[in-house]
Amino acid sequence: MHILLIEDDVQAAEYLVNGLGESGHVTDHAADGKIGLNLALNGHYDVIVVDRMLPGRDGLSIIRMLRADHNPTPALVLSALGEVDDRVEGLRAGGDDYLVKPYAFSELLARLEALARRNQPEAQQQYLQIADLVIDRQKQTVKRAGRLIRLQPREFRLLEYLMRNAGRLVTRTMLLEHVWDFNFDPQTNVIDVQISRLRGKIDSGFTVQLLHTVRGAGYLLSESP
Amino acid sequence: MNLPRLFRTTAVRLTLRYAIAYAVVMGLMLAALFWTSSRYVDSQLEAGLEQELYSLTGKFESGGLQKLAQAVSQREEHGLEEGRYYLLVGRNGARIAGNLLAWPPDSNIPYDGKVHSVWVEDDIIPGSRYDDDAYWPVIVRELPDGSRLLLSHSVRQAEDLQESMLYLMAFILTMAVLLALAMGATLGRAILGRMDTISRAAGEIMAGDLSRRVPASGRNDEFDALADRLNSMLDRIQQLIKGIREVTDNVAHDLRNPLSRLRNRLEVTLLEDRSDAEYRHAIGKTIEDTESLIKTFNTMLDIAQLDSGNNRKQWSRVDLNTLASDLEELYRPVAEMKGQEFRLVTGEPAEITGSRDLLAQAIGNLLDNAIKYTPEGGSILLRVQRLEDAIEVMVRDSGTGIPESERQHVLERFVRLENSRHTPGNGLGLSLVNAVAGLHGAELKLDDNRPGLIVTLRLARNTK
Repeated sequence: MHILLIEDDVQAAEYLVNGLGESGHVTDHAADGKIGLNLALNGHYDVIVVDRMLPGRDGLSIIRMLRADHNPTPALVLSALGEVDDRVEGLRAGGDDYLVKPYAFSELLARLEALARRNQPEAQQQYLQIADLVIDRQKQTVKRAGRLIRLQPREFRLLEYLMRNAGRLVTRTMLLEHVWDFNFDPQTNVIDVQISRLRGKIDSGFTVQLLHTVRGAGYLLSESP
Repeated sequence: MNLPRLFRTTAVRLTLRYAIAYAVVMGLMLAALFWTSSRYVDSQLEAGLEQELYSLTGKFESGGLQKLAQAVSQREEHGLEEGRYYLLVGRNGARIAGNLLAWPPDSNIPYDGKVHSVWVEDDIIPGSRYDDDAYWPVIVRELPDGSRLLLSHSVRQAEDLQESMLYLMAFILTMAVLLALAMGATLGRAILGRMDTISRAAGEIMAGDLSRRVPASGRNDEFDALADRLNSMLDRIQQLIKGIREVTDNVAHDLRNPLSRLRNRLEVTLLEDRSDAEYRHAIGKTIEDTESLIKTFNTMLDIAQLDSGNNRKQWSRVDLNTLASDLEELYRPVAEMKGQEFRLVTGEPAEITGSRDLLAQAIGNLLDNAIKYTPEGGSILLRVQRLEDAIEVMVRDSGTGIPESERQHVLERFVRLENSRHTPGNGLGLSLVNAVAGLHGAELKLDDNRPGLIVTLRLARNTK
């Protein structure tokens, strides 16, 4: 992925650039809003990460300028303001995702990868497949090794989301947001329990395990852990 | 209480203004009264003179000059007492009868038998005292034989009457103004006194005594009402400040402890050379600790922000039935994993205006608590019920419950009951629910389920 990071905290940006680099992504960093906007308008990025409070130009206005220029590059807003209102404001300005500081690096990475994939054609496909697990999005059916697996509607949505992001880390908050449409911290391990139920349905009795837990980060649907 | 300050009070200024207006109106009224009564006295005198002239002319007609002179002489005796004066002069101008010594110097009095105002000198008035001279009402008639008859009336009595009336009026006016001023001063002083009490209380509160309140006089008047409002405001402020203090204390405890634990772990890890796996483990643990610190910190900020109560910008209609069933879907597996029975009861449409995320967080916290504190095999009920004027969201469990004495206490921040020390959590769950309830104007009630806890969130309907 080619990522543009617009962030005025140079040290934090350095960590991010390193982290993203180690995860195989190339990152351009702009330390102020004007340079950032210039890069965003003229470069070709898979995803843009923009801090909300920037010298020179406010982060949300950069996104607005991009959208006014019909630039559809997915954008993730980073913010130290964490209230519900701010989040809604960020998404309204044209941001595609919103992350509150302090955040876990794994969370940011997972969200960026999910954003970058959003525009890909597979999002519209009727069948999604990984190994011998196939889901039919139209008929809402799941088969593993040709055998039909019964899932409740919400479990189906959970699996569908994981399939769409197959091979990539998906965090608990991402699942909560996209599968349950909740933006809050459910305190307990509700997501873990949901995942282990799903795992019981799709993985038990098969030698190849598809749904993996990434300790301290989230989950991964893939043929190899 | 010094005078300039008293004069600056609204009461005194108002009273002064009223006193002036009152004095002007009263002065006009008294002037009108004075004028009318003077006119009345004058017209009485004139009528008397005209009547007398008529009667005396009658004497002349019946008995000639001699009878007239006789009649005049008769009347002049008691006429003096009434202040009536007569003068009868012959054709040559010589005095024939009467108690007036001479014809008034102003000889141009028309002989028309009508009353005229004529200057009468002291020296033609018998036994006159100094200052009797004045314009007197005078009536003159030339008789057919060329003699002339003059009748007049002293104005002394009328003047005396007018004078005493004037004195009386001045006295009344002065008294009225003085009374108004005195009343204003008393009023101002009374108001100043009450204001001083409030201002003194405010001063003491500013000096740091936050428990000080504005005393009420017990008269149940507008000042008591004001004092009451101020005291409620002070209660609220004190409560908020207490909240901030609690948070500060708790930050010290609930953030400092994990922070020092975290630092100790890192320091101890660095003491010796360790294997990669050990380093990994230590760093993993550290990240977990930071995670939980961030959570606690965020929740504290959320509560503080909710308590300040000004983020209703993004509110929308929230269907509590749908929300409850979404939450049930999310939490049911956890409950079932613990062998608990989880029931959802929803009924009639239950829409309110609010924040879906905050309400989800609040109900989620309640469900989380219920699952956490209910033993295996217990039961949990989530019910949404539409009432006449409210929608009630109830979470009922068969767990350990909360002793009645602690129920208010647990809504405060960082409070954890003794028997929950070993379970994970930061003691902010119920405080957050309480804050969300507060923001939505909802009532949060804790009851006993014998055994277990019933938490009811009562949200008013039609909250726009």
